Formats: sequence, C-alpha cells, structure tokens
Amino acid sequence: MKGILFTFALLSPIIGGLIYGLERKFKARMQNRQGPPILQPFYDFFKLTDKRALQVHSFHSLMGIAFFVAAWFAVFALLIGPNILIAIFLHVLALLFFTAGGFSVKSPYSVMGALRELAHILAAEPILVFAAIALYLSTGSWNIEGILTSNTVPILQMPLLFCALVLTVPILLKRSPFDISEAHQEIIGGAEIEYSGLFYEAVYTAKWLEYIFIGVIVFLFGGSNYLLGALLVAATFLFVWLLDNATTRLTIHYMMKFAWGILLPLAAFNIFWVAIWR
Amino acid sequence: MFGFFKKFRKKSPWILHYNTGSCNGCDIEIMACLGPKYDLERFGIINKGNPKQADILLVTGPVTKRARARLLRLYMQMPEPKVVVAVGACACTGGVFRHMYNVENGIDRFIPVDVYIPGCAARPENIIEGIKKAIEIWERKQKEKVEVPKVLKEIPDVETLDRREIISKLEEKYSERLVIEEDEK
Ligand code: SF4
Repeated sequence: MKGILFTFALLSPIIGGLIYGLERKFKARMQNRQGPPILQPFYDFFKLTDKRALQVHSFHSLMGIAFFVAAWFAVFALLIGPNILIAIFLHVLALLFFTAGGFSVKSPYSVMGALRELAHILAAEPILVFAAIALYLSTGSWNIEGILTSNTVPILQMPLLFCALVLTVPILLKRSPFDISEAHQEIIGGAEIEYSGLFYEAVYTAKWLEYIFIGVIVFLFGGSNYLLGALLVAATFLFVWLLDNATTRLTIHYMMKFAWGILLPLAAFNIFWVAIWR
Repeated sequence: MFGFFKKFRKKSPWILHYNTGSCNGCDIEIMACLGPKYDLERFGIINKGNPKQADILLVTGPVTKRARARLLRLYMQMPEPKVVVAVGACACTGGVFRHMYNVENGIDRFIPVDVYIPGCAARPENIIEGIKKAIEIWERKQKEKVEVPKVLKEIPDVETLDRREIISKLEEKYSERLVIEEDEK
C-alpha cells in the first residue's frame, strides 16, 4: 500500500497534467470543437522551457517555485503522511507562497489577483478541513491508509458534506463560476501574470497538482470501496467541467456568501448530525 | 538538449492579440478562428492575453498615435523567441485609414513584422495560414537574439544593445515608462 501511494505521489505532476489535458479535450468536445491533444499540457511545458525567462525580481520568481514545491509536498503529505489535516494546512501554505509572490510586484493585476486568491483560500479551505473531520468521524482514522482499509463508506454517512465538497472544487481549481482569482481576460491570470518562461512553468505545473490533491480527497469518500471512489472522482470532475462550460463568473461577494452561508452550514450540519447520532 | 525542446514550439504557440485602433472587423475574425468553427485550439493555440507568456503577437489596426507606445511596450514585454503577425490591410499598410492625421500607416514602422495577412477584413482561413507561416518562422528563431524595434534603426550599433538598453532608449524617445521593474535572467 505504502509503495503504491508513494509512486502515485511521485508521479502526481504527470498524472495531474494528463487530467488537465483531458479537461481541455472534454471541454472542447462539450463546445462542439475538436480540442487539443491530451498531451497538450506537456507540449506547453516543454515549450516554456525554451523561452527566455524575464524575472521581475528574484523573490517573486522564488515564490513561484516555492508554490510548486509546497504543492507537491502537500500531495506527498496527503498520500504518505500521518494525518490528512497536515496535508490541508500545507496546501494552504503553498497557496500563501503564491499570494506572497503576487503581492511582491507592482503590477496591479497581480496584486488584485493575489487579494482574490486570499478570498479563495478563505472560502475553500474550511470545507476541506470539515471534509477531513468527516473522514475521521466515519472511519475513525486521520491517516490515509486507515481510511482506505476501514470498512465503512464515508459518503453514505456524509452525503450533504460531499455535495458541499463537490461545489468547493470549482473554488479550489478556479473554474467558472468561481474563477475569480484567475479571471482570464479580466485580470489575465491574476497572481500568475508576471511569471514567464521557466518560472511560469513552475506555477503552471503546480496547478496540475491541485487536481491530484482534490481528487484524492474526493476518492477517500469511497472508503475501502475503490471502484466507488474512482466513480466519485470521475463524476466530480465531469460535473465541474460541465459547470465551467455552462456558467459565467460570479462576484467575490457572492462566492463568500455561497461558501460561508450555504456550503459551510451544510457541511457542519452533516457533521453534527453524524456525531450526535452515533 | 535544446534541439529537443525546440521541437515542441510548433505544438504550443500561445497568441497575444492587440488592437491598435482597428474597426474591430479583423478582431471578430480572429475570435472566429478561436471559436468552434475554425477551432485554433486543436493546434494547441490559446489566446493567452498576457505578453509575458505569449509567443505570437497578432496586431490589428493602423496604429493610432495613442496606441504606438503601448504596441512597443507589449512587444518589449514579450520574451524571445517571438513572432509578429500583422492581421488585415490596416496593420499591413494603414488600409482605409492610410494618411489620416491620427494614424501611423501600419505596424511595420515600429516593430519588425514576420508575416503580413492581407484582406479587409482578413478571412479566418487566411489568418490560420498566416499563423502557420509564423510558426515556421518562429521555429528558426533564437532565444538569445534580441530583436530591435524599427523605430530605433537610426541609432548606430543598435544591434549590439541588450534588452535593458533598448527599453531605456524607447522610453527616452516616447518619454513614457514602458516596462516597470524588470531584471533579466
Ligand atoms: S483591415 Fe479592414 S476590417 Fe480589418 S481592421 Fe482594418 S478596416 Fe477593419
């Protein structure tokens, strides 16, 4: 088990890239376009290696690389670490590096994108923490191996919380209707705007790791039933891609109201209900 | 080593589209190329909208006097290797706006242009063909060589200047900040 999880964590940038390629293909097919090849993210990756890198200043570039390293570290902590809560906090740390980079340059789009990124963290991470608590409540373990070998199926006890988690995925992955911090053609990528060449490559790859991170958390809701877990992951991603194609960007206030007014009470209600019922 | 990465250029060209005061006819055609009917994304092309990450600069319009410094600024912000495509009669020569008091008759007075796409408006098929030509030219370019905007051609030894010096010369000429705080790597 440990060996498989370790290899998965090691290969996670590649698998994340494949998921991103699939996403682009699927979204193109939904719009009746042919779409790029599935390996397109890797072509982009290799091309960016051969571009001249224009640094704004070294701290900014360092934060781009730190984002990638910390995001990968969070995936490792999730897959082979002792506690999934730690992985969630490391994930916040990775996003904070990214925001620090965004704040460190004078470009207004970058600063605005970093501010919005903070709002994303505020909206999405509490629900991830609740998801970890829910996994503990229904399986009795904070550890990924314990969850994967327990004989309960968390989604059966936590249906409302799972719905809240699925609706958090667009906030985490910055997909429409919650693509507020990236907002292509409005603030043109937000905090990633000033990166170029190799440094943009780091940020670009770090975003693939987000798929793995959220995908694994969704997978855990299948418990020891791996087929159910895989189905949940596929259904979640398909739903998010469809939602991305079908909706337009909402405002930041709406996102906060939605996350703290609807998703969080939903998740909390589910947790209290299960905790009291047992 | 770098020959290996060069092969992937033609698979993932990212474009930056800038309108220097065109009538929007050509812009609509570029958008049509990216839409479902012509679907440029099947070649890996996306409209990045960000000069620091773009490879191909698509320019439409005759360059109004207000747009010229912005055009130079976008051009200098793009990292090498890069190519420039002039889309439509306006961007090539000034088109219907030629010799008006507020325009500069085409972009090639300011920046080196690699591909000219004729037509008013340029047809999507032409634009796709032009981008294909641009990619062929782009594959031969070096990332070390800095191309000098044509407005600086009269300065002696302009080819030996580095990026920084070119930017400061341009800022002198137009008395405007072009690129804010940037080191070179
Ligand atoms: S070439 Fe014609 S269609 Fe294109 S911007 Fe100029 S006037 Fe408009």
